[in-house]
Amino acid sequence: MARTTGPGTRARDLWAPLIAAGAVVALLLAAWPLIGALLPGLQQVRAGEPITVGGRGDYRASLSLPQEGWLLDTDTSRAGRIYRFHRGPVELTLLPVAPVSTPASDLMAMWEGMRRIARAGDHTARLDDPEVISTEEGVEGLSGNFHSRTEQGAAVVYPSPDGVFAVEMTLAGEHATTADLTAVADVLQSVSFTREEAR
Amino acid sequence: MSRTPGEPRERTLGAVPRPRSSRTSAPGRARGRTAGTGRPLLPSLVALAAVAALCLLGLVFLAARFAGTVRAFFGEAALALVLAAATLVLGYWVLRQIRPVREPDTAASLTAAAFGLTAAAGAAVVANGALGSLWAAVLGLDLAGVWGPSLTAPLNEELLKLAGIVLVAVAFPYALRVPVDGFVLGALVGLGFEVTENAVSAMNAVVEAGGVDGAAAVVRSAAVRVALTGLASHWTMSAVAGTAVGLLAASAWRPGARRAAGAAGLVLLAMAMHGLLDSPLPGGAAGTAVKIAVNFLTAAAVYLVVRHTHRRRVRASLAAQGEDLGMRRSDAEALATRRGRRSALRRIARPERPAVQERQGAMLATAEDHAAGSAS
Repeated sequence: MARTTGPGTRARDLWAPLIAAGAVVALLLAAWPLIGALLPGLQQVRAGEPITVGGRGDYRASLSLPQEGWLLDTDTSRAGRIYRFHRGPVELTLLPVAPVSTPASDLMAMWEGMRRIARAGDHTARLDDPEVISTEEGVEGLSGNFHSRTEQGAAVVYPSPDGVFAVEMTLAGEHATTADLTAVADVLQSVSFTREEAR
Repeated sequence: MSRTPGEPRERTLGAVPRPRSSRTSAPGRARGRTAGTGRPLLPSLVALAAVAALCLLGLVFLAARFAGTVRAFFGEAALALVLAAATLVLGYWVLRQIRPVREPDTAASLTAAAFGLTAAAGAAVVANGALGSLWAAVLGLDLAGVWGPSLTAPLNEELLKLAGIVLVAVAFPYALRVPVDGFVLGALVGLGFEVTENAVSAMNAVVEAGGVDGAAAVVRSAAVRVALTGLASHWTMSAVAGTAVGLLAASAWRPGARRAAGAAGLVLLAMAMHGLLDSPLPGGAAGTAVKIAVNFLTAAAVYLVVRHTHRRRVRASLAAQGEDLGMRRSDAEALATRRGRRSALRRIARPERPAVQERQGAMLATAEDHAAGSAS
């Protein structure tokens, strides 16, 4: 603990830097959330408008939401990493992922990885055994039921055509009914992959 | 070299005579063991309590935030923690060694690293998340994704780490008295922050890899962040900002306009370094190499200046003390380095070494007090 101070430093000289340091920490922790609360955290997304959600290798992935009324949650979404959309009580979460060495076309490995990611977010989350599904453009992936203590819905994973990355989606919502989810279920097939040169 | 009985005491190489008097001020720091007032100052106690509280809050927050990921990817998290611990131990040792004359105070060093590891890193997760959302709302998600990090991190992370350096300076006023102290303790705050950020990035990499090949994702993330960008990351920026704190502490926190401007300039420089590293420009591998080189060389330049200044002042004081004691100037000045002191000790008989080592310590304490006085 302190015994002596710097040259000419008196106890009263130390209060100003101490208060300034505390004020900076408090300001940074309080100011941004407060300012953020004044700004809209949701942005309207038009139906059919393609949203680029990631890309690796030769391909880019985009999502075209089939219905009107979807909102992009800019508070929790981060470009190229995670996208969250809301439509009433329904929540759509999209993750572009790229395994280090396993090809994304190894769909069972991707499904197992997705199971663990789901458990990371909620330890009660479970993915049932999957079935084959395909996007509107015919890219084959896997789909299965998603359920946790508070929500249930569906999850899908689609590999990019070159197997470098994959798009994973979960459609659920704590207050969403089966009818709510069924009404927008086709969103899980609205991903498309575009070759870079063709864009 | 041993002294044979009856031979006059060697006064030119190894033996450091007991100081009779000094032209400089009396030893004040002496590694924090000697007393000026004999009591800790109240602001120091408050600062220490604040550091402890913020570290605890940061640790609890980080643990709660990443508990789910750790539970789901336990093996990967253990690997990330092992790599983080290795980085911390190595970095801590290296950064303490770079302080000229002698290592920084241990308690202050540990506190600085702990603040970066927990308090600053935890607070940055909150502040960055909030500011990131703000950029996304204002700039749009895509533009915020590209420029957000270089707009967010320099502001939030540099100021949070700077606050930590100031708290350490107030909690341990005897340990941070000159710019070179600020450089080293600042670097330790930055190191702690960097280690936590590396661990968080490694776990993010596991998720971004789809939860597949988790160990490979952790190793790849750590390799890039330690071996590549680690050369120019948080420790460099906080070392530069810490130098500013050292400048202010040296003036007893009552800087003149010129010193205040210098300190502000160093803080802005640290922010600019962070902005450059996180900027998408210049891009590509060559761009990354340029950014790393610029940051590392900037920190190195600041270090060389403060190191040279501190050593010059310490040498001057040692020479003055040596003259009083009848030592050769070169022998007295040689005590300013660890190697010089070891060499001096090797030249005397083993039984006398502890006493001589103690006298070397007393001379160094006086010399560093003198250097701190000269820096004010």
